[in-house]
Amino acid sequence: MKVKIKSNWTAVASWRWIANDENCGICRMPFDGCCPDCKLPGDDCPLVWGQCSHCFHIHCIVKWLNSQQVHQLCPMCRQEWKFKE
Amino acid sequence: MIKLFSLKQQKKDGESGPERGKKSSAAQLRIQKDINELNLPKTCQVEFADPDDLLNFKLIICPDEGFYRNGRFVFSFKVFQGYPHDPPKVKCETRVYHPNIDLDGNVCLNILREDWKPVLAINSIIYGLQYLFLEPNPEDPLNKEAAEVLQSNRRLFEQNVNKSMRGGHVGSVYFDRCLK
Repeated sequence: MKVKIKSNWTAVASWRWIANDENCGICRMPFDGCCPDCKLPGDDCPLVWGQCSHCFHIHCIVKWLNSQQVHQLCPMCRQEWKFKE
Repeated sequence: MIKLFSLKQQKKDGESGPERGKKSSAAQLRIQKDINELNLPKTCQVEFADPDDLLNFKLIICPDEGFYRNGRFVFSFKVFQGYPHDPPKVKCETRVYHPNIDLDGNVCLNILREDWKPVLAINSIIYGLQYLFLEPNPEDPLNKEAAEVLQSNRRLFEQNVNKSMRGGHVGSVYFDRCLK
């Protein structure tokens, strides 16, 4: 069967991050939104996971790690923070 | 997608009001959530002098058990733009005879200093403060005299607390009445 598209059309897609939680524990904004310093959700405001399995907006966790002088610990479980590859 | 739209709407809602046109700061957005999700024990209440300013408020604790039963203690909370990466500044405005609170109102609570982490919220601090009144901790004192008395003579400590809450001198220090 042939389909003809007559007029202008607009494609719509939806996406979401697959995380084990709804909200970022640091800024408490939804993971499907962005951190408070960004305007748009998506690849410019990605999520990152630690080896401890906790997940945050990258901007939120980096800001926290930078403020830590001695040990870099996960703010959720206080284990040493290592980015999960 | 629906969620995205509702998010946008929330952002808009957050912007309207006193600061129309100006984007709320990260600290304001976060404190708004903290306040919305407050789950206060019945011994605590929160008061906003200016309802449009969520960054400055008072907490009133009226313990219903322990040494400080029937007292009424006021704490001021100041939340800064670094929140939640930096903890709020909390001071006790009621002069209190307590091992972990000095006479200037500085509070020794681990999560207000070295153990703060941004996943904690205002609620965590409120529970921490309430706990200080139930279990004053002589191990880590700001008021060394009170801590020594608590460690050496609990009866005397209890009497001193009662004296201070009724209003009067403990040693050379004067305390205003703070019974509710």
